[in-house]
Amino acid sequence: MTEEDFKFDEEDELSLLETLDHVLDLGLVIAGEITISVAHIDLIYVGLNVLLGSVDTIEETIGKRMKELESPKAESPTSKVIDSKSQV
Amino acid sequence: MNLYAYCLSDEMARAAGAGVGGAEVREFECGGVWVLVSEFAGERVGVTRENLLAHNRVVGDVLARTTPLPFRFGTLTSETRLRNYVETNRVSLLQSLGRVRGCVEMSVKILWNAGEVRRAAEETARAASGAGVEGSGAAYLLAKRRALAESEDLRVRAGEIASRLAETLGETVREARVRVRPEEALVVRAAHLVERARLDDYRARVHAARAKLREAEGRGEGLRFLTSGVWPPYSFTDVSA
Repeated sequence: MTEEDFKFDEEDELSLLETLDHVLDLGLVIAGEITISVAHIDLIYVGLNVLLGSVDTIEETIGKRMKELESPKAESPTSKVIDSKSQV
Repeated sequence: MNLYAYCLSDEMARAAGAGVGGAEVREFECGGVWVLVSEFAGERVGVTRENLLAHNRVVGDVLARTTPLPFRFGTLTSETRLRNYVETNRVSLLQSLGRVRGCVEMSVKILWNAGEVRRAAEETARAASGAGVEGSGAAYLLAKRRALAESEDLRVRAGEIASRLAETLGETVREARVRVRPEEALVVRAAHLVERARLDDYRARVHAARAKLREAEGRGEGLRFLTSGVWPPYSFTDVSA
């Protein structure tokens, strides 16, 4: 990990991880409008320290969603599945 | 066809490049708020390098000229729902845009050697609680006391790191979102809202804070720093939808 000021570079893995850390975890949310699929799990787990927040968020969201799907209550019309297995 | 939402602003903002999936980015106005979107064929957005970078490029392009409120990656919606969202939340969106105007987000992450720090805290707790206790009940209580002391020691040390960082940065930071997790390797995670005009001063102070913390470092903390920015104000978009 660099000790110098971070310079964003699209080819650099750390840049990508920092981007992930910001864009997956934070920002404006319209209820029920986020629908992502995690195609490259290995990418997300590179640099675990940097990405704890995002991984937590994904796991928490997937966990909640799984509980909802297991419960007999009907799915809310605006909610969508966060699919961790598609596009592999 | 869904719309992919990137960011919104109270100034007309255009992005030059292509958006997620190579789609053309366009903007529409809704009650004084401009929203940047592109068409998206599909029901979910893949977390891929291309998509992440496309999202980042579009929002970053706007950030180069003004400070927008970014949507979270993967926001798929329709123009009708977006308009409803903006109309419903217009007041708080404009307040948030006012709050971040002229600013950018900067990030400081501090990692420590959690294993070493914990071992040092255990030693401190052991020394403080004494030894030579007889009987299983007393030993149990002693172990509990040590665990509490160890946890408190970690909490205090992590808090000191966060405080020293905040003190050194001082008024260069307009707002901060700081998470302190003493039990984790990523012990301090700070997002700072910084006025563009103060960025040089802020960067100089981050360097100073790093030097100070390194100097004061003890007991194998092994502090490491990752500073990054500029970012759109992802951590300062507190709008309840």
